Amino acid sequence: MSEAFSQLEVPASLIDRARAGELAAFEQIYRRFERPVYTLALRMLADAESAREVLHDAMLKVFQRIDQYRNDAPFWAWLRQIVMNEALMRLRRDRRFDVDAGAETDEIVDGDAPPWVRADALALERALGKLPALTRSVLWMYHVEGYSHPEIAGLVGKTVSFSKSQVARGTARLRDLLAPVTEHVSCRIQTSMAL
Amino acid sequence: MPNPDIDGAVMPLPEALRALPQVAPAQSAWPQLAAQLAAKGARDRASPRRRYYIPAAIAAGTVLAVVAGALLHLSPQPSALSPQVATVSQVPASSSTNAANTTNATNPQTAADAGEQLAALQQRSQELEHWLRETSRAAAPLSGQDLAAATEIEDMIGMVDMQLGAQQSNGGLPLWRHRVALLEDLTVLRYSSYSLAASGLDAKALIPTNSTN
Repeated sequence: MSEAFSQLEVPASLIDRARAGELAAFEQIYRRFERPVYTLALRMLADAESAREVLHDAMLKVFQRIDQYRNDAPFWAWLRQIVMNEALMRLRRDRRFDVDAGAETDEIVDGDAPPWVRADALALERALGKLPALTRSVLWMYHVEGYSHPEIAGLVGKTVSFSKSQVARGTARLRDLLAPVTEHVSCRIQTSMAL
Repeated sequence: MPNPDIDGAVMPLPEALRALPQVAPAQSAWPQLAAQLAAKGARDRASPRRRYYIPAAIAAGTVLAVVAGALLHLSPQPSALSPQVATVSQVPASSSTNAANTTNATNPQTAADAGEQLAALQQRSQELEHWLRETSRAAAPLSGQDLAAATEIEDMIGMVDMQLGAQQSNGGLPLWRHRVALLEDLTVLRYSSYSLAASGLDAKALIPTNSTN
């Protein structure tokens, strides 16, 4: 589960004020969730402008429907679901529901540290951005947001085995994409040590 | 100096992904949102919406009236809503699941039949929308999950509307079927946990059988 979202509880009093239409309450909610919402959208869409649009649209939806929200589920979970739906809807609309059909799930060599151990955050982000949109989204939903394969299958309108295969393929692709980077980095380290 | 990332235990991918830094948008979306919310607030104040506290029984009665009307209108016209519609809607989990995938190829129809079907679907769509609009004034809040699902269905209806807008004037029968199926899903979702439960009625049972089975 995304810590960024789940750590952000919203006091009931703040929701009540937002329900009453208080703009300052809306702004507080927005400020609280701006980063996690934008980050989730960006991780799924890999496009800054689209992610900002999702941030805007999802927040607007939440604010317009807040009077329908019942306090029986965490606010962040509701918001996250709306963001997820918005991002997936956008992928569908932009016909980016393509999958990495060609990539095979390579056997992982035991004993080798996975390349993301050595790769820095920027390299991992870049590699993530190179995955097909749907593969990346499934990978993120599974590994970071904590959705189960049946839940992901329901969200993306595919089968459970599809979800599983996308996680495996996405992981394998990340490994491939990061491998040259880490090799390059270790070469540079060795060169500098020699000097 | 040891590097915990390299020298420590192998970092699993979920941890590596979670460790990625959060990102803020280059430009805040708040000013735009604030303007939209302020404009909406001004509109609401200018024409305050009446709050209807309709008792559950009255709301359920409205459901029955609308659904009965739809049944009377649709049931005696098997040709107006062809067998595909029934076929489409025989998926109990979601009547909209396959609605857009049906084609007329298996049951060739005349242009007049298609016209009748289209008119029937459009009327049904209007009735459902009207019913949702009217009864939503008395609706109880939905749970987070139901609300998210309702939002998604509304989005999908918006997508269908966009596609309908781009359609040629004489087309769109599968899209209209899909629209009606989505509205029916929304109807079930909105009211299955609301007044119908309170009055001992099941919303699903009130949806016309020729469209949701």
